[in-house]
Amino acid sequence: MRYLMTTFGDGSTPTEQQFEEMDKFITELSASGVLLAAGGLEPGGVHVTSLGSEFTVTDGPFAEAKEAAGGFALVEVSSREEAVELARRAAAIGGDGTTIIQQVFS
Amino acid sequence: MDVTGTVEAVWKLESARIVAGLTRLVRDVGLAEELAQDALVAALSQWPAEGVPDSPGAWLTAVAKRRAVDHLRRARRVDLDDDVGDEPAAAPAGERDDVLRLMFLSCHTVLPTPARVALTLRLVGGLTVAEIARAFLVTEQVIRGRIADAKRILAEQRVAFDLPEGAELAERLSSVLEVVYLVFNEGYMATAGEGLLRPELSAEALRLGRLLAVLAPGESEVHGLVALMEIQASRTAARTGPSGAPVPLDEQDRGRWDPLLIHRGFAALLRARDLGGPPGPYVLQAAIAACHAQARTAQDTDWAQITALYNALERVLPTPVVRLNRAVATGRSAGPDAGLAALDALADDPVLRDYHLLPGVRGDLLARAGRAAEARHEFQRAAALTRNHAERDYLLGRAGAAPAPAAPTLAGAAREFLGRADLGAATIRSYGQTMQRLCRSLGDELPLSALTADQVERVFTTAWSGTAARTWNRHRAAIRSFGAWAALPGLDAGLTRRDDATPPTPAIPPAVLDRIWTTPEVRSRERVLWLLLHESGAPVSAVLALDVENLDLDDRRARVRGAWVSWRARTARLLPELLADRRRGPLFLTDRRPSPSRTVAPADLCPRTGHSRLSYERAEYLFKQHTRTLDPSGAGYTLRQLRPTSA
Repeated sequence: MRYLMTTFGDGSTPTEQQFEEMDKFITELSASGVLLAAGGLEPGGVHVTSLGSEFTVTDGPFAEAKEAAGGFALVEVSSREEAVELARRAAAIGGDGTTIIQQVFS
Repeated sequence: MDVTGTVEAVWKLESARIVAGLTRLVRDVGLAEELAQDALVAALSQWPAEGVPDSPGAWLTAVAKRRAVDHLRRARRVDLDDDVGDEPAAAPAGERDDVLRLMFLSCHTVLPTPARVALTLRLVGGLTVAEIARAFLVTEQVIRGRIADAKRILAEQRVAFDLPEGAELAERLSSVLEVVYLVFNEGYMATAGEGLLRPELSAEALRLGRLLAVLAPGESEVHGLVALMEIQASRTAARTGPSGAPVPLDEQDRGRWDPLLIHRGFAALLRARDLGGPPGPYVLQAAIAACHAQARTAQDTDWAQITALYNALERVLPTPVVRLNRAVATGRSAGPDAGLAALDALADDPVLRDYHLLPGVRGDLLARAGRAAEARHEFQRAAALTRNHAERDYLLGRAGAAPAPAAPTLAGAAREFLGRADLGAATIRSYGQTMQRLCRSLGDELPLSALTADQVERVFTTAWSGTAARTWNRHRAAIRSFGAWAALPGLDAGLTRRDDATPPTPAIPPAVLDRIWTTPEVRSRERVLWLLLHESGAPVSAVLALDVENLDLDDRRARVRGAWVSWRARTARLLPELLADRRRGPLFLTDRRPSPSRTVAPADLCPRTGHSRLSYERAEYLFKQHTRTLDPSGAGYTLRQLRPTSA
């Protein structure tokens, strides 16, 4: 089963040590075949809205930083619990924040 | 969220590392798994009450390790507390090597393949027995048995927990790759049952493969296997239609191929190529898969390149299936006629005799060549041979697309031929075997008018060329009878009757016999047996069946199986010594009592000694051993050759 994990940080910048540990964690997960893809996301980005016949493009930044996703990970695991466990480990390194875990249907 | 679910998730992620680390400590993979299970049980009982620890993996590892140390202490190896008990977590590199060692162990070549698969999924994959059983459609009992057997064999053979080197590495590694790919394929193309895919197995194999690629990064075949699996898995969504029917590669919607997995596959293939060296079978297969992945449409496929890769693959992996695929590629790159020619070279391979893809491919090539009626016939044959429901429906669908023949078919004629009232039951059974083979090999729907002596000859050669003359002649008689009945004279034109007289066994020359009788070190049992065979001329099995109570020592004869066996003076002189004071039971006995696991019929047991009747095999072996130096060919003689006038 494939899950997309999107993380929303608390707006603080990670320390050098957090970066290093997260890097190690990601390498380890890729190695064990669990992590298929991961990446950090730029703050803001572009919003596009479609409403009726109207298509609106708005450049960021938007509102507060903690409302935007800071990173994502696509994992291949055998249960939802396993995805939760991975999020727990990531949180132990990354600190406060929210992660949304959603199964990806193919 | 359910704590049990969390425990299981942590277990799935950590078990390989935990079991591997414990195996290094206790040097027994069976014990290591038990200790790890203890830790799992502890987690299942403590976490619901005390909450999930901050670092669940470390918790499990620590508990398991403590149990291992306790165990070693109990085994009176006391000096361990300092260097093991408080040891900080092992360096990642060491841990990695442990997991790699575990994979080599669970895929060890001393184990039968099903045991390798079960043990690897259990120990390295962290799957439960129930999960493995479900994936392979067998009972949990079967899987438990395979795992127990595997552990027992590893312990008995004292297989070391190490990393193989040099030439051994190549062999052991290829076994690991084979197990991983087997798991993948069982998920990717289920050989039996309703569904065509069991995706959880493929995912597990990919996980194992990716893990292996990090553990053994210097082996190009490992990356090749990963690349192959990633690219094949990328097609999962496109491989089956809405109703679950398989969609062949060139009809798949390429937009549904998973670009992420293709990308990962290419990356793995590049890693394999960067390592250099001649490409192995997995790298070549991955390169072929990559060719398909690169083509935007089926028409864009670079079949010339694929044919070249198959040619290379056939050199390192000349299996019938690879040769079959090479024929497919040739058919695409050089036209259906070239493909059919390549296929014809395979038609007589006994391995492919009942392999549904052979007629399936043939049907496809014939359809491309515009020979619709023949194509239809091949598809129907293929459908009759496959065990997979989805695949059968697909093949029947392709057969249906071709026009139906109006003429009587082979199967119809066979049914009528066997259904006649004037045939006895034994004849029907005998002829039935012949006709069934003919229908399976040539296809039920073959128009009877298209049946040729040439085809019949090929079926015979493939199926029965190695059989005894009598079997061959029996099938030949059936064909002659069928040909006469169906008004197709000459169907047996290619089948010559075989001489079924048993070739006479040459008797042992008298000079050799003399030396056999006079060798001093022969035991009395053997001496009596050999003399008795020679003097009586009776069949070996009859002589071995002799019972003490049936011997008539005065008249020098015994009744066995309703016939008389009689002997002469030399046997008579030696018999009393062999009999000693036995009154009943088999005359010729083994040296030892049968093992408790064997059940021996009471009639084959000596009531006095408890020894069982000497077997033909053992008696033959002993005679061969003894006469090896006397036989000019060095093979030794057979007991049957002791009979004075061999018939």
